[in-house]
Amino acid sequence: MFALNIIHRPEMVPEYSQKVTGQGKAEDMKDEGLLTESLDIFRTQQECAHKYGLKTTIQMTYASLFNEEAVSLAKEHHEVYGDEIALSLLGLPCEEFRDKYKTKDFCIWMFSMEDKKAIVGDVFEKFHDIFGFYPQSTGSYYMDAELINYIKEQYPGVKCAVATCWEEGPKAYHTCNNSWYTFMDGGPWAPWIPSKANTHAPAANKEEDSGIVAIPHLSRDLLACYDGNGSNFGTHPQNVLRGMIYDSKTWEYPYLYNLIDQYRYQARFNEGYSYNMMFVGPGWMNKMGRWEAPYELLLKSYDDGCKYYGELKKQGKLVDMTMAEFADYYREKKTYTAPEVALWRDILYGSDKQLFWYTDPYMRVGVNMDQGGAIVDLRPYAAKLNWPVGIGTAHVTDASYPFLIQEKYRAGYFTHYAGEGTVRSAKVIYGKEEVDLCLCRTKARCERQKGRVVLTLDAVDVVFSDVSVKLQTRFTFEEGSGVIRCDREVLELSNPDACVIINEYMVGCYGTTEYAEDMTSLSLSVTNEKGTKEISYEYKCRELSAAGAKEAACVLPPICTRVSMEAEGRDKFGYVKEGYAFSPMFTLGYTGVLREKEVFTTWLRLEKAD
Amino acid sequence: MAQAGKGRLNYRCPSCFMRDLDIDMFYDAEKEEFYCIRCQYCGSEEDVLKKNEMVRFRYRAMGKRFRFEEMDG
Repeated sequence: MFALNIIHRPEMVPEYSQKVTGQGKAEDMKDEGLLTESLDIFRTQQECAHKYGLKTTIQMTYASLFNEEAVSLAKEHHEVYGDEIALSLLGLPCEEFRDKYKTKDFCIWMFSMEDKKAIVGDVFEKFHDIFGFYPQSTGSYYMDAELINYIKEQYPGVKCAVATCWEEGPKAYHTCNNSWYTFMDGGPWAPWIPSKANTHAPAANKEEDSGIVAIPHLSRDLLACYDGNGSNFGTHPQNVLRGMIYDSKTWEYPYLYNLIDQYRYQARFNEGYSYNMMFVGPGWMNKMGRWEAPYELLLKSYDDGCKYYGELKKQGKLVDMTMAEFADYYREKKTYTAPEVALWRDILYGSDKQLFWYTDPYMRVGVNMDQGGAIVDLRPYAAKLNWPVGIGTAHVTDASYPFLIQEKYRAGYFTHYAGEGTVRSAKVIYGKEEVDLCLCRTKARCERQKGRVVLTLDAVDVVFSDVSVKLQTRFTFEEGSGVIRCDREVLELSNPDACVIINEYMVGCYGTTEYAEDMTSLSLSVTNEKGTKEISYEYKCRELSAAGAKEAACVLPPICTRVSMEAEGRDKFGYVKEGYAFSPMFTLGYTGVLREKEVFTTWLRLEKAD
Repeated sequence: MAQAGKGRLNYRCPSCFMRDLDIDMFYDAEKEEFYCIRCQYCGSEEDVLKKNEMVRFRYRAMGKRFRFEEMDG
């Protein structure tokens, strides 16, 4: 089942059109030309979907509720095509809104809680006045947990919401000349059931269930978006143009179709299910063109996107749904602890790189096979971090779920001159030689077994001056455990009598941006049968180790997280390392000895720290 | 000179684009060139278009259609 949601919104003052096409003009919220164009674009988008037999979800904006033509179009398309009439919390700006709220803010999650409640009341009641019912679906670029909880309390019929945009964060801010304040990194890339505590973190059970099914804003490239500008690489044809990922002579963009197909491919790892969402705001199809892309190309790309989805539908490979229909379908098939996984390959840069992504209620994990299966991104959802956002909170704009590991923001394997970057990898040591598996490029296969996901990497050769080791890595994710098991097995040693030392390590920190946070509240510990030794973080570069350690752990109070490592294997030694000012990190690890055919196993555990 | 404006199309700075920065350029009618207000790039429309081809260098698989054959199995 490849499920598709296409969403359109009649936005009376498109956020891009007003600024871009209006260059040289003073702001005018009632610009007749802009209003007419906006509705024309909405009509065009609807036509593109309908002519290929696809139904849509029409997300009415607050401004459009004051426009009779937009309302009447929505009603007609609901009758004729079965489109859902829903309500967006995007597109708030209009005269009526400005008069009442006296602000130019337009992102619902950034308002104070008091204003959020008032706005929700205004738009939902206005919607009810116009249509005679409350919407079942809503959304914004981001919906914070407090907002979702409030909406669900007031309007229990809401079952689906666009609730985040994958890896839209500091990278988007930088791409927009440090002027685009959508910080929402660290969430799921595919639909999920958000917890009441934190939208990004999926609910682990009924008690945690926020009551809605969340869908991401677009289906984004899980490799390209992680490093580059996210707004170039999604199921948004004009984003693909924004990235200049098309032939400027022929106006062809196979990348868009590859992206859709790669999402379809994920069905094989997710019990036959995969998902796509396309949501292009009208500002992306304005008649003046968008950057170097003329209107004709904008239109062609949108039409082509719909056409491809339509062809897949005709072939029986896709089911188009409204958001509310999708929520019902998803609720039917989903169990709380079942993970979402993606085995993703580069489809743009020609590198053949492969990433693996895993999300469940306890963690989001990114594994990079081009770095020997190193974990390069880790979000501790187990903490179900309460992180209110908006004016009046500690995080006015920063809605990202904090990381423990983020190789782009806090380095990974490679650092300049000194210090360490965040990564979970291993070093293989023989005599005085040492090789980090981050330098062993490989590939992996993913198996979905009952109650677990197994990622098995192709064995790599670690070559020393007089011995070589064929080593295989296998990750196992037990459903509902909050634990990542990692097995390193020596398949062959060129000298069967030799042995190597394995050093399993995780370098971590916490944060949501590139910049270091205060580490002084962290505590590190290593425990064995003789007791526990601890370090309170003071940037003093201290280390502790213990033979036969039961665990090495770090507690991070600012993100209510405890992360620990346990191990099983020959001659195991657990250790922790404090960082220092130039390397504000912590390290957890184990060393052990491996002989031919032996396995060294570690378990990385994520827990909520109260 | 009179103030700068936008050209026929709304070009971004190709030099900034290569560092993942989308920034509109403005047009200096007197010099008949686009210029970036953040970095030092300036050039004619022809030069902008040429550089826009150049920025695609990293998309080595841009024209390739991948087939996920296993998908249907």
